[in-house]
Amino acid sequence: MKESTISPGLLWTLRIVAIAAPLGIWQLVIASGTMPSMLPGVEKIFSAISEALGQAAFWGGLGKTLLAALTGWLIASVVGVVLGLVIGSVRFLDNSTSILIDFGRSFPVLALMPVVIMLLGSNTMMEIVVVALSCLWPVLIQTIYGARRQEAAVADTVAVFRIPPMLRFTKVLLPSALPLIATGVRISSAIAILVAVGVEVISQAPGIGRQITLMQQAQRWDLAFAYLFFAGLTGWAIALLLQQAENRLLKWKRQNDD
Amino acid sequence: MTTQAPVETTMETKPLLMKVRGMSMSYGAGPAENKILENLDLDVEYGQFISIVGPSGVGKTTLLRCLSGLLKPKAGTIEVSGTKINGPHPDLAVVFQDYSRSLMPWMTTRENVAFPLQGKGIGKAERNKLADEHLAAVGLEGQGGKFPWEMSGGMQQRVAIARALAYNAKVLLMDEPFASVDAQTRFDLEDLVLDLQHKLGVTILLVTHDIDEALYLADKVVVIAEKPATVVDEIVTGFGETRDQLATKADPRFTEARARILVRLRQD
Repeated sequence: MKESTISPGLLWTLRIVAIAAPLGIWQLVIASGTMPSMLPGVEKIFSAISEALGQAAFWGGLGKTLLAALTGWLIASVVGVVLGLVIGSVRFLDNSTSILIDFGRSFPVLALMPVVIMLLGSNTMMEIVVVALSCLWPVLIQTIYGARRQEAAVADTVAVFRIPPMLRFTKVLLPSALPLIATGVRISSAIAILVAVGVEVISQAPGIGRQITLMQQAQRWDLAFAYLFFAGLTGWAIALLLQQAENRLLKWKRQNDD
Repeated sequence: MTTQAPVETTMETKPLLMKVRGMSMSYGAGPAENKILENLDLDVEYGQFISIVGPSGVGKTTLLRCLSGLLKPKAGTIEVSGTKINGPHPDLAVVFQDYSRSLMPWMTTRENVAFPLQGKGIGKAERNKLADEHLAAVGLEGQGGKFPWEMSGGMQQRVAIARALAYNAKVLLMDEPFASVDAQTRFDLEDLVLDLQHKLGVTILLVTHDIDEALYLADKVVVIAEKPATVVDEIVTGFGETRDQLATKADPRFTEARARILVRLRQD
């Protein structure tokens, strides 16, 4: 990582500028009148954000989106980690599944949505399935990488001391792959929110995405943008929490690399 | 110090803990076959400290990996307590050369020592107690909560020794265990291992390229050389139980044995 040589005060000033600048440009573009008049200015969105905070429909929608995104993401994480550890640590499974997995990772899961809607209907269950299918790949692939690169000395130790398979799985394979698993889980947390909102916009399953569409149809562009803002905020907050958890769980990793 | 006759090769008839007969090992097959070990015999008595010494690259690590069951020899048999072994065995524990990598960095030292005991099905309270006892035995009392990366190389190697001892194997196999620590730490670890061997009565088989280390530690030094490697000499040291880094190494029998091994390896 690059060493930052600027003071914390200056750093925060720069960060605020980095946020304020695009907002300023946005406001300028709106003021110039080159954009269609339905596009709201920054001040309208700010007032819409506080308006949204007082709406039951907003909170209900946010709750449904979060529920679907987190459930799908959790399922994908558990399935991805278990499958990935098994595949990554068994040579012949790794070799025989590599084409399938490379295909799966590049498959546009959103395109599967019509099929899933047909099977499950336009509801939260369907949304969870699509989120889980989208989140599975980053976790699975990162876990396979993590399980593959086991230290030879660790493998020898496990063999010499005749560590039983289950114990090896939970106490050796899982922690040694954890640094890469954490990356996969973090990437897929962002995907979970993106896909959940996307599914709601397209399929009209209940949630913040559906609220966005409803607001657009009602010509409340400012509220639509406010909802978008909250969707982004949620994803950011989750990533931040995961980063914290990662720092605690992987303390050994950073120390060991020094 | 005993007044036993100096350097000589003896054939004793005590019960054998480990018996290796006609062991050969090679990589590849056909004309590309790379023979590493050929027709190697080895007798290990109960409570004996055996050093296997040979030049770098002779195949010492391959030999130790075969003995520990990590590699399957192409020919020959390995018996432990009269039973043929075909892989890792509960009577065999290994201290690896690459100690910093053989300890799990995500476990505390206590967890590292207790881990093989968990594999044996020993309950948590009991295995933690055993781990703390063995950490104390190697001079790391009260350090069980530390992580390996918080310790020096010598301390990490002590943890690896404690782990092998706690496993309660009959034979401790050590692969150049002190090759990557500084000279003073090395002497300390050598004396620690001798002390532990006398206290616990464990049988030790140590592989090294260092002739002085081999002689200083062992009851019997097995010299391996040539390509493919085989046993070219065996020397019973006869220094007894009490050894001293200065006095023992100045002992005429020590210098005589040292010269004999050097000559034997030079012929190669």
